[in-house]
Amino acid sequence: MEISLLDAAVKGLLNVFQLKVLLAMLAGVCIGTFTAVAPQGLGTPLVYAILLPVVIKWEPVTGIALLIGASSVSAICAAYLPILFGIPGGSGSQATVLDGYPMGKRGEARRALGASFMAGGLGCLIGTLTLALAIPAARPLIYLMGSPELFVVMLWGLSMVAVLAGRRPLKGLIAAAFGLLLATIGQQAQSGIMRFVFDQPYLLDGFSISIIALAVFGIPSALDLALTKLGVEQEPAPLKGSLFDGVKDTLREWLLVLRCSFVGVWVGIVPGLGSQVVDWLAYGHAVQSAKSGKENFGKGDVRGVIAPESANDAKDGGDLVTTLLLGFPQGVATALFIVALLAWGFVPGPEMVKKNADIIYSVVWIQGLSGITGTLIGFILAQQLAKLAQVRYSIMVPVMFLFILMGAFAVNRDPLDLVVVVAFGILGYFMRRFGYPRPAMILGLVLGELMERYLYRSMASYGFTWLTRPAVIVLLVFAAVSFIMTLRGRAKGKGPEAQSPVTGAIARVGDES
Amino acid sequence: MKVNVPLRAFLGLPVAVLLSMPAFTFAQSNFYAGKTIRIIHGRSPGGSGDLRVKSMVSFLQKYIPGNPTIVHEFMPGGGGRKAANYIFGSATPDGLTIGNTGGGMVASAVLGEKGVQYDLDKLIFLGSPYSSTHYIFLTRRGAGATSLEKLRSISGLRVGAQSVGHTIYNIGRLFAWVAPLKDPKFVTGYSSPERDAALLNGEIDAFASADDHVMRNIEWVRNKRVDLHLMIAVPKGLKHAEFDLPDLETFAKSEKERKVIALFRNLRLTGSPFFAPPGTPADRIEILAQAITKTFKDPEFAPHYKKLVGDDPSPLFPEENQRAIRELPRDAETIEIFNRLAGPGPLPPR
Repeated sequence: MEISLLDAAVKGLLNVFQLKVLLAMLAGVCIGTFTAVAPQGLGTPLVYAILLPVVIKWEPVTGIALLIGASSVSAICAAYLPILFGIPGGSGSQATVLDGYPMGKRGEARRALGASFMAGGLGCLIGTLTLALAIPAARPLIYLMGSPELFVVMLWGLSMVAVLAGRRPLKGLIAAAFGLLLATIGQQAQSGIMRFVFDQPYLLDGFSISIIALAVFGIPSALDLALTKLGVEQEPAPLKGSLFDGVKDTLREWLLVLRCSFVGVWVGIVPGLGSQVVDWLAYGHAVQSAKSGKENFGKGDVRGVIAPESANDAKDGGDLVTTLLLGFPQGVATALFIVALLAWGFVPGPEMVKKNADIIYSVVWIQGLSGITGTLIGFILAQQLAKLAQVRYSIMVPVMFLFILMGAFAVNRDPLDLVVVVAFGILGYFMRRFGYPRPAMILGLVLGELMERYLYRSMASYGFTWLTRPAVIVLLVFAAVSFIMTLRGRAKGKGPEAQSPVTGAIARVGDES
Repeated sequence: MKVNVPLRAFLGLPVAVLLSMPAFTFAQSNFYAGKTIRIIHGRSPGGSGDLRVKSMVSFLQKYIPGNPTIVHEFMPGGGGRKAANYIFGSATPDGLTIGNTGGGMVASAVLGEKGVQYDLDKLIFLGSPYSSTHYIFLTRRGAGATSLEKLRSISGLRVGAQSVGHTIYNIGRLFAWVAPLKDPKFVTGYSSPERDAALLNGEIDAFASADDHVMRNIEWVRNKRVDLHLMIAVPKGLKHAEFDLPDLETFAKSEKERKVIALFRNLRLTGSPFFAPPGTPADRIEILAQAITKTFKDPEFAPHYKKLVGDDPSPLFPEENQRAIRELPRDAETIEIFNRLAGPGPLPPR
């Protein structure tokens, strides 16, 4: 039976306000919080895989509450590791390390966590609101973006990397080129050709981005702490400020939260982009659009925490737009969510919008409520967890190494990943030491594979005529204007400290040691 | 030392008695009591392959005497090659470690792809929870191929797929080769949802797909957004409940083409098989094979599987699995044609 969307929204809300549903949501939030704080790899897909056999025997809304509760909060709480330990969180929270960790090191962990939770909570709500509003009209938005348009977006992202180089343009370009080169390792999907595999099965699928990011950011942080003994034991960084400073920062930067949340929603909606790019695109946007203080990015600018966290959390709403309204899963977690929906007898896509709109609205309400609950839990836990920033380095360093190695091993359960994480960790240490920007390398690695894929598909489907598509032209103009404004901004800067949009982060991270 | 007959009889008696005692049999069949079986998945956790295996676990625990604990380990990489290499070369053949991958590990070995360090004929195959299916070739309505004749007359049809060598790519090429299509172009690099979006926004014109995917998007057919043209049934002759489409094999012009289609069918028939390392004791293989057979026959299995996986199971029993592997066409000409179909170059001549 089809019902009006308003009736469906009310019915969806009534579905949620049952004790067992609320308890299931709370249980999901607790599970999601745990997985976010645990080393990466214990991510939402694995949690879904474990929970699925159990929840499909439950009533649908109760099961949905558990699953959505777990997934929505895991992004909100993913900032603990980057801020407190300098270890990138799961994908979607990796860019947070650039400014979150410097804030933690100078005693502002509470402020950074406060900003992260507030931005994450707001991002989650904006993503949820978008999902609610998108129900009547999601389809055109998704079909607007074909491979040519996505290629231009990636090119835009790569232009950001080029200017990331800051005071060391050559080193930035070398790092980005190295990242692009790493992206070519493995079997090329379009041609089936093996590139740099050397008959090693380990290299058939290339390197895992999660492992490389974990290595080049996590191990140098731990080594730095161990080798220089600059841990808080010798120079205890007082825990200045409070969580509410971060909240105030976030509210002051409400426009940034809004913009980055839309970046996140958009990344979530478009098939194929995924969480690997969302935080980096948002971070790049934050630096590019900053009217002042660009040089502070990478040194512990709270905006560098707010941008990726709001985008990462808003992305979940975008993911659900595509998953629920079109039936396209956006990743393993949403694919499993679809399996659960099918098991309950719902067919995600237009049919579900017609027949089970109340269930879609229940998802919307649960997503929103979970976001709020997760944010509150984050605030409660943060008071205690922020004290970790004052733990002695002799305790902290082994813990950090343990987290890094467990995180790396958890990705594929392959012992060779441990070798890779250590090798790239050493590389990351020397990159940092000699001023080669590591984020440029990661961005090259992330964008390289996507750019190649979209360009290949554009050429194969349209030849060179894809360049004449109106949306491509508009996006190219945006990208060019943004690039030129960035370069102008740099040119106006003073002396050697002149920074480009994302330059600050890159250069600073490179300069730290 | 010479042993006389009465003495040999005397020494042999206890052994004979021991062998005939139920307790001995019990000890053999109870090998798994208190033990842990590791299932090495050739995939990441969370996908449908993972769920297919998980749907069987509680049944296997019930049907393996001794009710062992079953744990999952994930070893993704190379389309199952990494896990198969591990099972073949490194796993202890004690019946406590078995593998499960997608059928790609079988295809990789038959087609001689790189990274294969296992011998299909030495691995012990134990069955698969799914095997039969139908593949359908469809076009978007905007492409103008509203009939089979029109489909064959359109030049440069853009056929989308995941990647070169992927099952969906291979089947799309097989359709294009046998139907035949006129100068088709193959556009790869899509995930399944990306490919759906690309079809609907006109970036590609056609793709091949398993029937369950078409069934999940049945409104495309009902709303005349796509046209369905051809089908390959696995195994041969399997009727589809919903669609009555011509089987591709009816368009084959030679024995050579029929052999290539047979190779595709047999590769696909292996589903996502369980397999044990060479040298695993026969009695333990027997226990595992019986448990898998009983699982497939359990009336509660099919609904449980459907609930978890979202599709009906189509079990391939252990002996059928071994036979399907044995009967894979391996003559050089068929393999060469199949490799050309599965590769990036032009389609082989007919």
